Amino acid sequence: MNAAIQVANLTYRYHDGTEALRGVSFGVAPGECVGLLGPNGSGKSTLLLHLNGLLPEKLGWNGAVHILGQALTPDNIDTVRKQVGLVFQDPDDQLFCPSVEEDVAFGPRQLGLSEAEVKVRVQKALAEAGLAGFSHRATHHLSHGEKRRACLAGVLACEPTVLVLDEPTSDLDPRGRREFKALLRQISATKLIATHDLELVVELCSRAIVLDRGAVVAEGPVAELLDNEELMLAHGLERPHILRHRHPHGQEGGE
Amino acid sequence: MHIPDGFIDAKTAAATALLSAAGVGLALRQARRTLPPRRVPLLGLAAAFLFATQMVNFPVAGGTSGHLVGGVLVAALLGPSAAIVVLTAVLIVQCFLFADGGVLALGANVFNMAIIGAAGGYAIYRLVCHWLPGTRGQVAAVAFAGWCSTLLASICCAGELAWSGTVAWPAAFTAMASVHMVIGIGEGLISALVFLAIRRMRPDLTGEINAPAPTRQWGELVCYGLLAALGITIFVAPFACPWPDGLESVAARLGFEHQAGHRVVRAPAPGYQVAGVRWAAGATAVAGAAGTLVVFGLALLLARSLVRETEEDNHPTRP
Amino acid sequence: MIDDWVGHLHRRWDSPVARLPATFKLGVGLVIIFGTVLAPPWAVGWFVSAALLLLITVALSRIPPLFLLKRLAWLSPLILGVALVNALQPAARGSWMLVAAKSTICLLTIIVVSNTTPFSRILRVLKAAHVPGLLITTLALMHRYLFVLVEEAERMRRARASRTFTHRRGARWQTLSTVVSQLFVRASERAERIYDAMCARGWK
Repeated sequence: MNAAIQVANLTYRYHDGTEALRGVSFGVAPGECVGLLGPNGSGKSTLLLHLNGLLPEKLGWNGAVHILGQALTPDNIDTVRKQVGLVFQDPDDQLFCPSVEEDVAFGPRQLGLSEAEVKVRVQKALAEAGLAGFSHRATHHLSHGEKRRACLAGVLACEPTVLVLDEPTSDLDPRGRREFKALLRQISATKLIATHDLELVVELCSRAIVLDRGAVVAEGPVAELLDNEELMLAHGLERPHILRHRHPHGQEGGE
Repeated sequence: MHIPDGFIDAKTAAATALLSAAGVGLALRQARRTLPPRRVPLLGLAAAFLFATQMVNFPVAGGTSGHLVGGVLVAALLGPSAAIVVLTAVLIVQCFLFADGGVLALGANVFNMAIIGAAGGYAIYRLVCHWLPGTRGQVAAVAFAGWCSTLLASICCAGELAWSGTVAWPAAFTAMASVHMVIGIGEGLISALVFLAIRRMRPDLTGEINAPAPTRQWGELVCYGLLAALGITIFVAPFACPWPDGLESVAARLGFEHQAGHRVVRAPAPGYQVAGVRWAAGATAVAGAAGTLVVFGLALLLARSLVRETEEDNHPTRP
Repeated sequence: MIDDWVGHLHRRWDSPVARLPATFKLGVGLVIIFGTVLAPPWAVGWFVSAALLLLITVALSRIPPLFLLKRLAWLSPLILGVALVNALQPAARGSWMLVAAKSTICLLTIIVVSNTTPFSRILRVLKAAHVPGLLITTLALMHRYLFVLVEEAERMRRARASRTFTHRRGARWQTLSTVVSQLFVRASERAERIYDAMCARGWK
């Protein structure tokens, strides 16, 4: 079976020449939930933008990225964007429509669906994201947690096979984090989550990849990787407390 | 300088609306053709930026404060067509949401601030840059063009008010021009400071990336220039012209005089009691002409003082 | 001032007027404005009926009277200015009272329509009127990110002010210029991210 995401030797330089990604290689199997860890500036966001064809800008790819068995090229970029749903780091960047309904409907409308189908998708996505009844709310009026869920709904409405999330729980209060994690648990799509929230990785992911200064420095099962205190500290991370204690509000550490 | 409804009459509103529609239509067409898709959201964000910036208070003296209108700034950063679209969006939102500027007067406001202000200001900016190379040249150009565009826009505004008969030309011109000669200094100064700060932070944003090829741009500018010239001819020239009697006879021959109770070209008010105001208008005109030279000199000094010698070498000079 | 000017963007008072279709409200509003501007000085009947209609609508629309008065008061310096200038020019045609009356009626119309109609509906009407797509997108994005940028500007200004220990005007201007330039750079970068987000969901 084809890997959902297969990245082979991906390199990328910024405009000023600094290397953002240095020969990154990894794979994500269908249905898996993988955590992408790394200190700030390690290149996580840059890597995620490659999975949707948003980078590199000049579209001069070398076949480094394969989605569902197909190499990402300028020709099949539209198909890939339907298959890979990217949830951005700043919800304000993604929620560019005035109302929740319009924003969630944006994706389905771009897909060319009829208005009736769009409506169905919107309601379904809102329900999945726990925002039933929020259709007519103004995007600007939402709380931070609601914005993040609206972003998720907007991506789910496109019914992607692979879900890629960039720091989905940053800036959320503890309850917001718990609710978002519960949402993600319900979603059956393949998931790649770039995050600093180590508890989330322990609770939801089976495997983790550690990125540092644009290169993959470690990869493996979550329990093993995150328990390696030396490795975690060496790359700007730390061993999460959840592996030491039972969390009173959530599940036990590990899947 | 936003004109509310009721201050200009129907014919002025119609004339300005036609000129503006032509200008904005041209700008939209140019922007669609030359703007890379990546920059499309930038128009909306630049409009939001202008709006937010117009609310920033730059303290002047004793509680008063200046504000940046930003037409020339946006034109220097994004090019004249994009600037016209951005300013039109700002004016529309200000009109519809904040009742700042009338609905029928929208044509006049767009003409004054977007076409004369931004595109006209941009033409002056490019001219000055042509003569004065380097970052210093750009800064001086932004400052000078900012002042000029404010003054020119206010003169057009005065012309429109006079054409409508709301305020007589000598009084309108004196009031608007003299006030905006002062306001323009703030506009030029702030535009220059902000432009330089952006240049230092992100030189790529102030480069030619946002502007289309030079030859196409001159073509575009010629079109806006024609529109501006047409507007000035209609609204300002009849009043500024020293031979109003000659114009009156032309108007009579063309049949304008026959409009019931409507005189397209106002005769100078007779009698001694208005001599004082007309003298003031003449003085203002002279002050404006002299002021232009003074402000140009000031702009050069400003650029000199703000831009260090070393910076000139780091940034590429304009072609 | 920011709260008053921008906060109202999101204040929507529910009322029978608010529920009327946007096209109808815009149409009636335009008719009133056109008529008022075109009306000759002796058409007192028109002015009175327009004013009455507006006052009734204001009452039905539940717009707070204080809010309304504050907005109308904005016009007064301009009217005073025109009055002053006209006082020196006895040959001026049209009394300033007429200008004041026309402006007030038109201003009231705009205030009523804009406070009972969500901006996105107004945009939809403009779109139906074949206003070019690029302008509509610009207006939509401007409206969406207006408050975001204003908040950002306010935060930056406050952060800067907390580290400013001089009251020299020159320093203030440098600070404010830096804030404004930062705002533009951030707006630019946000615009690029929005473009990415739009493309990620299939926009072309």
